[in-house]
Amino acid sequence: MVMKSAVEDDDAGWGLGIPEKMKNNANWVDITHEFKGACKELNLGELLHDKLFGLFEAMSAIEMMDPKMDAGMIGNQVNRKVLNFEQAIKEEAIKVKDLSLPELIGIIDTCFCCLITWLEGHSLAQTVFTCLYVHNPDLIEEPALKAFALGILKVCDIAREKVNKAAVFEEEDFQAMTYGFKMANNVTDLRVTGKGNVCGRSLSPHSGFGKNKSLSRLFFLAGMLKDVEDELQRKVKSTRIRQGEQRDPEVEREHQQFLALFNRIKFMRLLLTALITFTKKETSSVGEAQKLVVQAADLLSAIHSSIQHGIQSQNDTTKGDHPIMMGFEPLVNQRLLPPTFPRYAKIIKREDMVAYFSKLIDRVKTVCDVINTTNLHGILDFFCEFSEQSPCVLSRSLLQTTFLIDNKKVFGTHLMQDMIKDALRYFVSPPVLSHKCCLFNNHQAKDYIDSFVTHCSRPFCSLIQIHGHNRARQRDKLGHILEEFATLQDEAEKVDAALHSLLMKLEPQRQHLACLGTWILYHNLRIMIQYLLSGFELELYSMHEYYYIYWYLSEFLYAWLMSTLSRADSSQMAEERLMEEQVKGRSSKKTKKKKKVRPLSKEITMSQAYQNMCAGMYKTMVALDMDGKVRKPQFELDSEQVRYEHRFAPFNSVVTPPPVHYIQFKEMSDLKKYNPPPGSTDLYLAASKHFQQAKLILENVPSPDPEVNRILKVAKPNIVVTKLLAGGHKKDTKVLPEFDFSAHKYFPWSKSSDSALRERQKVCVCVCVCVCVCVCVCVCVCVCVCVCVCVCVCVCVCVCVCVCVCVCLSVCLSVCLSVCLSVCLSVCVSVCVSVCVSVCVCTRFFS
Amino acid sequence: MATMIEENGPSTHEQSGVSPSYQARQKLEGLLNKNMRIRMTDGRTLVGLFLCTDRDCNVILGSAQEFLKSTDTFSQGEPRVLGLAMIPGHHVVSIEVEADSLEDAQGFGVNH
Repeated sequence: MVMKSAVEDDDAGWGLGIPEKMKNNANWVDITHEFKGACKELNLGELLHDKLFGLFEAMSAIEMMDPKMDAGMIGNQVNRKVLNFEQAIKEEAIKVKDLSLPELIGIIDTCFCCLITWLEGHSLAQTVFTCLYVHNPDLIEEPALKAFALGILKVCDIAREKVNKAAVFEEEDFQAMTYGFKMANNVTDLRVTGKGNVCGRSLSPHSGFGKNKSLSRLFFLAGMLKDVEDELQRKVKSTRIRQGEQRDPEVEREHQQFLALFNRIKFMRLLLTALITFTKKETSSVGEAQKLVVQAADLLSAIHSSIQHGIQSQNDTTKGDHPIMMGFEPLVNQRLLPPTFPRYAKIIKREDMVAYFSKLIDRVKTVCDVINTTNLHGILDFFCEFSEQSPCVLSRSLLQTTFLIDNKKVFGTHLMQDMIKDALRYFVSPPVLSHKCCLFNNHQAKDYIDSFVTHCSRPFCSLIQIHGHNRARQRDKLGHILEEFATLQDEAEKVDAALHSLLMKLEPQRQHLACLGTWILYHNLRIMIQYLLSGFELELYSMHEYYYIYWYLSEFLYAWLMSTLSRADSSQMAEERLMEEQVKGRSSKKTKKKKKVRPLSKEITMSQAYQNMCAGMYKTMVALDMDGKVRKPQFELDSEQVRYEHRFAPFNSVVTPPPVHYIQFKEMSDLKKYNPPPGSTDLYLAASKHFQQAKLILENVPSPDPEVNRILKVAKPNIVVTKLLAGGHKKDTKVLPEFDFSAHKYFPWSKSSDSALRERQKVCVCVCVCVCVCVCVCVCVCVCVCVCVCVCVCVCVCVCVCVCVCVCLSVCLSVCLSVCLSVCLSVCVSVCVSVCVSVCVCTRFFS
Repeated sequence: MATMIEENGPSTHEQSGVSPSYQARQKLEGLLNKNMRIRMTDGRTLVGLFLCTDRDCNVILGSAQEFLKSTDTFSQGEPRVLGLAMIPGHHVVSIEVEADSLEDAQGFGVNH
């Protein structure tokens, strides 16, 4: 009985459902007086209602005449008359021809701003459709404006189509509703243009133009823009300064304005063409699109410097920050908005427009690079990395649709099943997929593996799609997909067992133990780890929860991950050994045993580093708790167990690894099982060792990526801080530690708000360029108040093995002059064995 | 039988021992789920199903549609669908129901 309006409906079918008699006013009888009188008989607070209608429903009603809830009120509050396009033309409030260059530039710039505001998540009705010109471009006589209006409608249409298809958006990301507007689908009277080939032709949607009708229509529109562009280019050339001529400021200004308009039309054309190219199904189109957006990016600086040529909007004093310009009416679509509370779409400023486009184009360029990744795991990593910069919905959607063109084949060429098989080979080298194994051609084995791989396709496509959502939604969805992966794991175990028994009969020396299971387990663990870590990024955990989150990660999940990776690694090695043995008669190769980089080594290293960081954080938190430095909530209605179970609830569907319930966790993490049980000092020291270990591991990574450096930025100060805490620093104060996640979103570095500690700033300015052969062995253990200014300039070949827990800002020159002004109680035992031919510029700072 | 204290003095319209407040409730209940047209103080008109009211004459309409123009020329004003809407009593200018609906309700209109 109570109908909620269908907000998602794109139909402007407002007329549906109204009984005819409602429109006929002859039947209405006025009962105002009696009604009010009857109401007075009710008691205070009494509601008169039908049995099925209650307070819950009453609560969700929109309150009329309340500006916070009633969007229809605004029209009555403004002083101006709200005109639609046709009305505005009639009243001559808007020009459709003879527009001046500044007017054109201003309108175009404002339209671009509206487009960007729409892409940022506002509705079309409050952004692009506030431009009256796009309501009916056929009525525009000015060719540049007409082409532009059609162009922007088309851009919106294609963008909307892409985003809808990719399905990686939620209501907070994007508003797809078009309110029944025509998106230039029936463009008529276009001229077909090639280079200099103009022919007049009316192209209604019904004229048969081959099967690529819609694509060709789009290209005609691009052709229309090209015509305008060419015309403008001629104007630009004609107003250019000629040799020896006097510079007329008027002409010069006109020249600049023509140039500004030309750049904008060209930008629109390139943007439109790039988007059109993305809709094509061939993989080569991605490269084309990349080139087009790069060309568009080249125009941006010229556009930015010519913004001032456009007419500005007159400031409006009514609600909303929308500029009131000729051609725009913010309230024209007010009645089309869904009946929610009024939303004000703040259109971005023109100054910010170019910056946004530039970043968008960067993202699109990155997206185009995905086709260079062939391995499924590589693709997953690409998606994860791309998502970390919180990209916009359009670029995320383009990435999705590029990956799975029309949701069928990866990049339009590979079958998902084949990619999964490749991933299996790369990760765990299962015998069944190896050419040299008899199982490869075994009919039954093929059946098993093919059906398993087919069952894997959907979950993996879902996983990749999950990584296309915004960061907040990803966490939730990752939790849910664990259920699907649990089913896969089950199947993997069964298939492994079946293949193993088959293999034992045919090739007794080989094994097929847990190959597929290991691979699925690896992905399971990845998802679980991502789920937990994203909680830090989204700031979901309270400080008193850190210890069990980090415990679960370091003592459990990463431990499992390490064993899974090493099992995969050994499975690979076993397979490789078998391959080598089978290749006979090539004994010469055996002498050249080049150490090959194991494919999983980087991942194992990073996991080790992460595990150590988590372990360090876990022990630090437990120690801080022992010292009473962690604020705990008053558990009135719940307990730590309830919160713990809630945090790890999505893991309950996972079979391997089995979820760790609270009681079990308490048992496993009980410190009393050690004799003697460690105190806070021991834990701080242990934490410090973990951070140290992480630092060592990461410093040995051959080609460090930004992530490695980010972790190091946190590991180093944490080493120092935990050592300080171990030394009993400020144990008695009530000062609580603060955690700063700005350097790394998963691992904070701890900073004390204690001002005394901040005074202990050691700023070493070492300036040393070592080309030296000194044998100085420095083991600096400085726990001091010192302001050390070292200016070392060594002319020697030093072998620097600094096990240094100090903070220095060093820029090395090669003559060592240590000018240490230290007012410190330092236990400085310099044992420096340095052999560096390096110019090191390291800044480590601790407070 | 419990005596009911009348706020405005004893009613002169007692019908077989039924109090006016009971009658009022009957009247209003008879109108529930009927089409109702309400004009508001800012000139807008809402048409919807009467669902709920209270002492201050705040009315909740279901499947409400908002018309801007004068209700005499419906065809001109395009309705905006609101769904569930509440009109505060002090913004109600007039309330109308369809003549057919009054057949069920007692105590309203001329026919009764």
